[in-house]
Amino acid sequence: MAAVVLSKVGKKYPNGFHAIPAVDLDIKDGEFIVLVGPSGCGKSTLLRMVAGLETITNGELSINGTRMNDREPADRDIAMVFQSYALYPHMTVAGNMGYGLKNRGVDKESIEKKVNEVAKMLDLTHLLERKPKQLSGGQRQRVAMGRAMVRDPQVFLFDEPLSNLDAKLRVQMRVEIRQLQRKLGTTTLYVTHDQVEAMTLADRLVVLNQGHAEQIGSPLELYERPATPFVAAFIGSPAMNLFSATLDSNNLILGENESVLLKTQHEFNGPVTWGIRPEHLVVCEQDADFKMRVKAVESLGAETLIYGAIDGVNQDLVLRLSGPHQPEINSEIGLKAPQDKWHLFDANTQQRLP
Amino acid sequence: MTVTFPHKTLPWLLVAPQLLVTLVFFLWPAGQAIEQAFYQEDAFGLSREFVAFENFIELLQDPYYYNSIGVTLVFSMAVAVSGLSIALVLATMADRIIRGQMVYQTLLIWPYAVAPALAGVLWWILFDPAQGPIALWLEYMGIEWDHFVNGGDAMVLVVIAATWKQISYNFLFFLAGLQAIPRSLIEAAAIDGAGPVRRFWDIVFPLLSPTAFFLLVMNIVYAFFETFGVIDATTAGGPGQSTKILVYKVYEDGFVGLDLGGSAAQSVILMMIVGLMTVVQFRFIERRVQY
Repeated sequence: MAAVVLSKVGKKYPNGFHAIPAVDLDIKDGEFIVLVGPSGCGKSTLLRMVAGLETITNGELSINGTRMNDREPADRDIAMVFQSYALYPHMTVAGNMGYGLKNRGVDKESIEKKVNEVAKMLDLTHLLERKPKQLSGGQRQRVAMGRAMVRDPQVFLFDEPLSNLDAKLRVQMRVEIRQLQRKLGTTTLYVTHDQVEAMTLADRLVVLNQGHAEQIGSPLELYERPATPFVAAFIGSPAMNLFSATLDSNNLILGENESVLLKTQHEFNGPVTWGIRPEHLVVCEQDADFKMRVKAVESLGAETLIYGAIDGVNQDLVLRLSGPHQPEINSEIGLKAPQDKWHLFDANTQQRLP
Repeated sequence: MTVTFPHKTLPWLLVAPQLLVTLVFFLWPAGQAIEQAFYQEDAFGLSREFVAFENFIELLQDPYYYNSIGVTLVFSMAVAVSGLSIALVLATMADRIIRGQMVYQTLLIWPYAVAPALAGVLWWILFDPAQGPIALWLEYMGIEWDHFVNGGDAMVLVVIAATWKQISYNFLFFLAGLQAIPRSLIEAAAIDGAGPVRRFWDIVFPLLSPTAFFLLVMNIVYAFFETFGVIDATTAGGPGQSTKILVYKVYEDGFVGLDLGGSAAQSVILMMIVGLMTVVQFRFIERRVQY
């Protein structure tokens, strides 16, 4: 078990491209950290830098207090689960799982014992003599995890391990990974682009955008107080409604021609990004803040998503209601946006307003 | 998916050119050779006599023939082993190069475009005992070299010439095989604590084994049957019998020695060897090398 500390860790490619400027991250012993962000944000690169598969061009990485920058992957005491699983196709499941121990000079009996122990935990015992080709996607995934577990590493690294599985299996494996990690208590760094996966797995989330850590915090912190419009839009599904607006003498002005005015108390004056989550809008017959014209309805049974727009405002809006609803297309729904659910960001600095 | 033609004749017309080539340049001469193998013909082709298996019996009692088999085995093994291993080393290195990979690869593929006879002559000149730069360098190093006299030297020379030409071919296949191995496998092995050498023998080499086996068969076939040009342009089978491989002996006995029956009998045996190698490749070993 180990703490992992990244201080100003960055990556600059020889062609001058600064993929990751500098990331600071303090991972506590046993913590489950998820790196999340859109594709190309540098999350996999960061993970591979921790693994030692990419060189760290600036900053310092330490695991358990020891500087790791120049150590070989094998000497960092980490284990990694790859997106493609990267199982050795010519070895059996047992061979795959035991390979790391074999290379470290562990004797045959101990390897067998350890492999059997882990196989039992992952329900792989009956598959030990098979080749990866003879396994289903979920089983391969499990073997990949088993291979990581047999060595009892200090840190687990997961690189989008569930993205090759079908939706149902993904949910199942998600739960399983979480349970295993809790049970083993191993510090874990997990990369995904799926925000649901990120929210459900993480102790703390790191939202990456173009190599910057936009915000680091617990899933609920990020949901309730996103630091930037990027985080606001990225966390939560469907995404938060974000509007360009202006704060001016106690009014929030939306749209052109001052078509929508919301009363508020705020010290800030100037252009802002105003956000409200689809689930926080309240339907009301009277005293509505604004009216939404319905464009499309998605009925999911347990909840209904209603897409529409405010007349005079050039952006679409999503409303999420629990239970089934059937509003007419083009009808108008009165909505209230409770002030305590607002998210306001300075449009220039992209930072959250207090 | 199958495509069906409404015509009966069109499919035949479409395959006709290929069939014609096979008939004229393969089946017909092969048939002739088989027939010839059972006859004895005088040197001028004026008369011939059916002798049944006499040509074969004579051949199998000829010590020179066994010598030729031995020479062929040594030659083909040497060509296959050195060709495969050098190509594998080159491919492994080319796979690691990031800048200028295209240049490196192109240069390595060039020798394949050189005609066998030219490849032979090229090395013949380089190793010429009187003026060849390599021979002179060997002499300077205190190694005596004369492939005109020394059968061993001659063998080394034809092996080098034949291998040099075949390396390009092997290199291409090995490189493609290496590039087909997912990077993540190598990375996983690195995290699993395997150093570069270990990774190569534990991961890369087993995954290359189907390619390696295919190339082994192709190289043996090449050494057996396609090195005539190399031999003819350099040692012409000499000195003595020391580089006279089976194919060269067929040519020499038939067209120089004018023993058409004996030469034909040798051809028939060669044909059987080819058939056997094909069967071995497809039926026997190919299945086992799969992972």
